[in-house]
Amino acid sequence: MDVRAQISMVFHLDKCIGCHTCSVACKNIWTDRKGAEYMWWNNVETKPGTGYPGKWEDQEIYKGGWEKKGANGRISLKGAGKLRGLLNIFHNPHLPVIDDYYEPFTYKYLDLIEAPAGDDQPTARPVSLITGKPIDIKMGPNWDDDLSGTPDYARNDPNLQDLSPAEQEAMFQLERMAFFYLPRICNHCLNPACVASCPSGAIYKRGEDGVVLINQEVCRAWRMCVTACPYKKSYYNWSTGKSEKCILCYPRLEAGYAPACMHSCVGRIRYLGVMLYDADKIQSAATDHDNDSNAIDLQMDILLDPFDPEVVQAAKENGMADSTVKAAQTSPTYKFVKEWGLAVPLHPEFRTLPMLFYVPPLLPVMASLSEAKNAEQEKKLDPIAKSWNDDWLYDTSTEELWGTVDQARFPLKYMANMFTAGDEEKIKDILKKLMAVRIHRRGVTVGDIPAERVQTTLEGVGLTPEMADDIYTLTALAKFDERFVIPAAHREQAMEMMDFVGDTKGSSGFGINQVAERGL
Amino acid sequence: MMRSVFKVSTGNADWKRPRKVAILRQIVEVCHILNARYTVKRAFERTFILSAILFWSAFCVPRLACAQQDEGEKLFKQSCTACHTINQGVRLGPDLVNIHNRRPEEWTVSFIKSSQSIIKSGDPYAVELFEKFNKMVMPDNNFTDPQILSIIQYIAANSPGESTGAAVSQCDCSSTDAPAQSVSEENIRSGQMLFNGKKRFTNNGPTCHSCHNIDRADVTAGGTLAKDLTNAHSGLGEAGVKAIIGNAPFPAMAKAYDGKPLTDQEVFDLAAFLQYVDRDSASNNGPYYGARLFFSGLGGAVVLFGLFAGVRTRSKKRCVNHEIYERQIKSTWEDSNK
Repeated sequence: MDVRAQISMVFHLDKCIGCHTCSVACKNIWTDRKGAEYMWWNNVETKPGTGYPGKWEDQEIYKGGWEKKGANGRISLKGAGKLRGLLNIFHNPHLPVIDDYYEPFTYKYLDLIEAPAGDDQPTARPVSLITGKPIDIKMGPNWDDDLSGTPDYARNDPNLQDLSPAEQEAMFQLERMAFFYLPRICNHCLNPACVASCPSGAIYKRGEDGVVLINQEVCRAWRMCVTACPYKKSYYNWSTGKSEKCILCYPRLEAGYAPACMHSCVGRIRYLGVMLYDADKIQSAATDHDNDSNAIDLQMDILLDPFDPEVVQAAKENGMADSTVKAAQTSPTYKFVKEWGLAVPLHPEFRTLPMLFYVPPLLPVMASLSEAKNAEQEKKLDPIAKSWNDDWLYDTSTEELWGTVDQARFPLKYMANMFTAGDEEKIKDILKKLMAVRIHRRGVTVGDIPAERVQTTLEGVGLTPEMADDIYTLTALAKFDERFVIPAAHREQAMEMMDFVGDTKGSSGFGINQVAERGL
Repeated sequence: MMRSVFKVSTGNADWKRPRKVAILRQIVEVCHILNARYTVKRAFERTFILSAILFWSAFCVPRLACAQQDEGEKLFKQSCTACHTINQGVRLGPDLVNIHNRRPEEWTVSFIKSSQSIIKSGDPYAVELFEKFNKMVMPDNNFTDPQILSIIQYIAANSPGESTGAAVSQCDCSSTDAPAQSVSEENIRSGQMLFNGKKRFTNNGPTCHSCHNIDRADVTAGGTLAKDLTNAHSGLGEAGVKAIIGNAPFPAMAKAYDGKPLTDQEVFDLAAFLQYVDRDSASNNGPYYGARLFFSGLGGAVVLFGLFAGVRTRSKKRCVNHEIYERQIKSTWEDSNK
């Protein structure tokens, strides 16, 4: 067992209101620079939608992530590799272009003030932040927000594959549409494709907390990471000629602060904490599945129980500080991911073992879906309204107050494509748990649900009333320090790995170059 | 020269007048003093002046003529012997024997000053010479007329049947050649090191390859300031090579080695090296492919471009939102910044 620590995140999608405050906080701190205007290390997408950059989930276009090929069952990068890297070394053929993101722009506000008197109101024309010339704005980082431009964006969502036409139509019927927000940052994966793809060796995963960083002094602008990252979270700065990505605000983490996007989150959807994992199992976790729900199970397997004495012992032997183990024991992410099994990674089939987990949204469930006599019904479809005249597809008058998860208006398949590599059962389990907690809390606060019914609901999903209360507390009431359990950074140890500190220490009486002994 | 002096003196007429007065005054003063003392020292003065005149006429006049002839010899050996001989046969340029009889003096003077301008002016004899000697350019010389005349005088003095036998015997052309010595591997290696600058010239002259190149794999590529010397030996001949190396007639090279002459041994080694390089390159001319080379290159290019095209087929060719952007309405207003 090779126990290591990883800072992991949980985003609770039911709580996200899509306000983009996180994006703005991140932009103001990190990417408000020349060459970085188009980058959004943190962005919020509307789902269904194509996201930013467009169709980033479609790896047939961008060739990101890992791929299992051949009989030996080993995985290799989809868009990079030794031979392919050599062939494409001067021209990386699957790179997103600026139009896949969007051309960043600002407005000539000064024209509003300095325009000479005239018959018309002066206007502030948009100018490109790349060329400085007036442009027609074609796109923005959240152009398809709240399902705008549905025919172009939401209907082209790569996650709609495997959904029947009726299911797809159901999602886009006017007045019955549903959507949710998906905030995204770098996943700080355990098996990062960007790190593997870099020909210069500029990207590395920090040993002490697993933050994935690009060394700006080593980066040689090959941009293989831009292609390799299946989440398209590595960006190329055209001004500095280096690639950049989310640094999980490590300077803030080291000082004990939450990352800016999490700190500023209005809906308090974000949780951050340490998780212990077994580095020996990374390869098998990334390899030993066939793009099915087994991927989730394998990933859960490498996450270790921080209360297990064996794990704690192994962590100590690996030189992990007690404070880190303690942080792992109080980690909110461990609770969401392992203890309650509520959070799942985004697109586990990319095989990068992302360490950002999502609690899927319990979207409008107060409608049931019936699909029958498909061919016959297709004929009745209004070509313009894309709607049926009868109640064939939707029935919002369910018998139960909470409806049933099985008949959710938002197809489970869609969620499963995003979070569980297509396994609807796993998604259903999670949604049922979320539902059970709501039923339990309604029983507690309103009291209009019989106790035995609450009891059976909780038992059905394997929760106790105490657990349900814990989930409720951490979801709805958690304070700052409960949402963000940041371990001490122990920079003094990290520094000793790189620098000889004997001189300074010797002169102040701490002995010569030795491992730090500070009672950690 | 005269002209420029004249110009200066007229140009500064302002101060000329007062100075003239001052000089006159001085002369008057000196005369006055001389007059005053004449009576006393007259006899002595006269004797002194007389003897001085006698001494001058007896010693300095022949000395002056001698110096002039010496200068001609010096200049000839310095600047001409690399390519020309006097009655020793054709070297790089024609044998200059009896040049004073064969060509008019003015023509010779102007040809020495700038052979190219004579050739360009279409002088038939000059053009014929140029054609005859492989269009090799004779470098322009920055000699004064008296210097050229002294050279011609020297040549005349050394042409047979024109002057005294003593003068002929003075032209010891063979003395400029290095003593006969057989070429060894050691000489060639030493010559290569001198050429490359791996070995310093005894008198600290600049290394050859700072200006010259030799097209050989084992010689560092040299400068392109002066001629490529790969085939210098077949062009100039051994004597020519040695003469040029030992006593550069070219102004830039002469300036570069001014006061830093090469030793005889160095000249010999370099000549041996150049001879070796020349023969070696002559026997090592690569095979001739002719049109095959062109067509194989063409075929290779087609294959290569085909390969590139094949590589490109699987790449992402355009933006994922291309169709959306195509549909969007473009603004038609003029750019006010233009």
